[in-house]
Amino acid sequence: MKTIRVALAGNPNVGKTSLLNHLAGTNLKVGNWPGVTVEKKEGKVKFWDYEIHLIDLPGIYTLEPLSEDEWVAYNYLTTEKPDLILNVIETPNMERDLLLTVELLELEIPMILVLNMVDEAQKLGIEVREERLSDLLGVRVLKTNARTGEGVKALLPHIVEVFNSKEKPKALRYSKELEEVLQKAMETGQETKAKLIRKLSTEDRFKEYRESLKRIYAKDVYEIVKDERYATAHGIYKEVVIRRSLTARDITDSIDKLLLHPWFGIPIFLLVMFLVFKISFDFSSPFMDWIDGFIKDFLSPLTLQALDAIGVGEIIKRVVAEAIIGGVGFVFTFLPLIAVIYFMLSLLEFSGYLPRIAFLMDRFMHRLGLHGKSLVPLLLGFGCNVPAIVATKTLETKRDKLLVIAMIPFMSCPARLVVFSFFAVIFFKNPATVIFSLYLLGILTALLTAFVLRKTLFRGSLYHFVMELPPYRLPTLRLLLRVVWVYVKDFLYRAGTLIFAASVVIWLLLNLPPGVKNPSESIAGYIGKTISPIFAPLGLDDWRMSTSLIPAFLAREIVLSSMATIYAVESQEDKKEFNALKALKEQGISLLLAFKEAFINLFNPVPTAFEVEEGSVDGLKGIIAKSLSPASGLAFMVFLLLYTSCLGTVAVMWREAGKRFALLFLAYSFAVGWFFGLLAYRIGSLIWST
Amino acid sequence: MKLEEIKPGQEVMILNLSGKEDILEKIKAMGLRKGRKIALIQKVGRNLLLKVDNSRIVISREIAKNIEVQ
Ligand SMILES: Nc1nc2c(ncn2[C@@H]2O[C@H](COP(=O)(O)OP(=O)(O)OP(=O)(O)O)[C@@H](O)[C@H]2O)c(=O)[nH]1
Ligand SMILES: [Mg+2]
Repeated sequence: MKTIRVALAGNPNVGKTSLLNHLAGTNLKVGNWPGVTVEKKEGKVKFWDYEIHLIDLPGIYTLEPLSEDEWVAYNYLTTEKPDLILNVIETPNMERDLLLTVELLELEIPMILVLNMVDEAQKLGIEVREERLSDLLGVRVLKTNARTGEGVKALLPHIVEVFNSKEKPKALRYSKELEEVLQKAMETGQETKAKLIRKLSTEDRFKEYRESLKRIYAKDVYEIVKDERYATAHGIYKEVVIRRSLTARDITDSIDKLLLHPWFGIPIFLLVMFLVFKISFDFSSPFMDWIDGFIKDFLSPLTLQALDAIGVGEIIKRVVAEAIIGGVGFVFTFLPLIAVIYFMLSLLEFSGYLPRIAFLMDRFMHRLGLHGKSLVPLLLGFGCNVPAIVATKTLETKRDKLLVIAMIPFMSCPARLVVFSFFAVIFFKNPATVIFSLYLLGILTALLTAFVLRKTLFRGSLYHFVMELPPYRLPTLRLLLRVVWVYVKDFLYRAGTLIFAASVVIWLLLNLPPGVKNPSESIAGYIGKTISPIFAPLGLDDWRMSTSLIPAFLAREIVLSSMATIYAVESQEDKKEFNALKALKEQGISLLLAFKEAFINLFNPVPTAFEVEEGSVDGLKGIIAKSLSPASGLAFMVFLLLYTSCLGTVAVMWREAGKRFALLFLAYSFAVGWFFGLLAYRIGSLIWST
Repeated sequence: MKLEEIKPGQEVMILNLSGKEDILEKIKAMGLRKGRKIALIQKVGRNLLLKVDNSRIVISREIAKNIEVQ
């Protein structure tokens, strides 16, 4: 089987990744703003007798890279020499996109032109004479819609045919004088046009030629070549694009009138964020309650009954009941919240609103010495810190990049939200306000960090702000669900591996040395008690708290599974009567009720998820309520918010900013978390002491 | 006239881009180059939102200072 290496090249946000996902069935990240793909990614597809390797590259406007992601694309195209380039073009913006096409043609690599977004072009009254375009350039031209996948599969046979026939595009012809000099610079006869131009404009021995060109054109070679490229692109555009004038107004322009309004823009943004979180909570909470009940009243007794029937030993039964169902199962309860919040955040990412927030907020950001563009990675941080840190590759300067990387970990992610949503209901009458304040504290800490860094390590002035705003777009439901599924799968995977392992280890440590009666005398208890003095000033001198914080370094949700395991070991419940069939029926009914409640919540203007009923805190919540004061509960949440308690984040920081930076930041975040935790405890103790 | 000086809703043609920064090459590649028609959609804070062909581009005022329009 032969392999064909196909690179997808094109301007940012033209649909390269969407195209690849359709071709190879991958789930690479797609989003409606420029700079979604920042690293080289790959997908494979078997076709006929070939294995086609599709290489997704970050978008570039020109082969003159500035930022790190642009360098990735540039290096791949110029040094790794793919077998074939799929040049993806946003048909509505063909004139702009053709500049890159011309630059790619200079590389003289076999190429196929993909005219994407034909649906939008049609709405805008833009028509392309594809045969003419194909004749002019000597490349095949295909039309696609990478949103729905229309026309995408038709690319495959063409890829194979072009690969086999080694069809080269027609040679570009620039103006006569330039071509003559380029001919003279030719030495082996094999050089590509790109190579010739590079030789001519940089090497000493061609100085004479450069001078002669300068005399003719009255500009530098660099300028001459650029102008030739623009002229060529413009010429092709004029020749192949037909525009019908339309009377209908562009819908994006109308929406922008409102959403980017100088006064209303920011209030609307705040409203949008409020709705995102309100819907996430209100819609998911009935399902969370249902899963909680399902595990407690059905899964757990059923499993124990089954284990009894098989006749396994007491130890196994306890591991299953306390570590797996108690610990891992507990974390599962939060799955609906994770799913719904990612659904909402993805909707934001696909709509095209995200880069507009950057545009709106730049007003405030630039006063703080931050670029509006850096807001995109910061906002992504609310979804997950790890890809957010990777996304800083789009920033043009190292200074901006490091500055933003030092801020991202303070953006509260859904993993933290899960912990907050659990703790806040235990201690506070208005949990929504508490959670909102925690998010705000995270943002403030990030700004403070940036401020201090800018006054000390990262002085220097601000780089220019340049960004493209895409049209508003709607994702297909299928795409949206696929994205949510990726996050859900990731959460399940972590529950099955990290969280599972952590729960079992904790359980073991709680039951060692063998025969230990009181968990506080176990190894886990001993470790917890040893480190608890560190957290005592925060009101967290309970060994159970400090113990659960240690494994939480892997991922924050583990704090919950560990706690659940610890308390499950402490309070071994007695068995109740259990009838599987009857219980299953009850579960079915309550699931239906959950659906009904979720949809009612959706249309309720006030947030309902956090209405705390008096005396309703039971189970783990009840136990924690008894063993912690509200002030120390708050301190615990503040600490967990600010301390970078996530292996994934530290690892990606290490990769992107270096080992020293990552470790120093970890220590810093611990100190900040501890300090603000202390502050929260002290202030909280004053308020709630009566 | 400088691009910085025009009002939202106005449509102009680019006459010249001056300055030496790398970023200028990028904005030219994004479509802001000599002879192109552009419209100013919105001014917010230190930024300008422009429409060029069917794309919308945000640039900061410092760059707009270097763009001569008519
Ligand atoms: N209407 C329409 N939308 C499309 C089409 N192709 C892609 N999109 C949308 O355009 C946006 C950008 O798609 P991506 O695949 O992320 O683009 P990309 O070229 O990989 O972008 P970068 O990685 O940022 O360079 C997404 O919101 C897609 O859903 C199309 O043919 N028609
Ligand atoms: Mg992409």
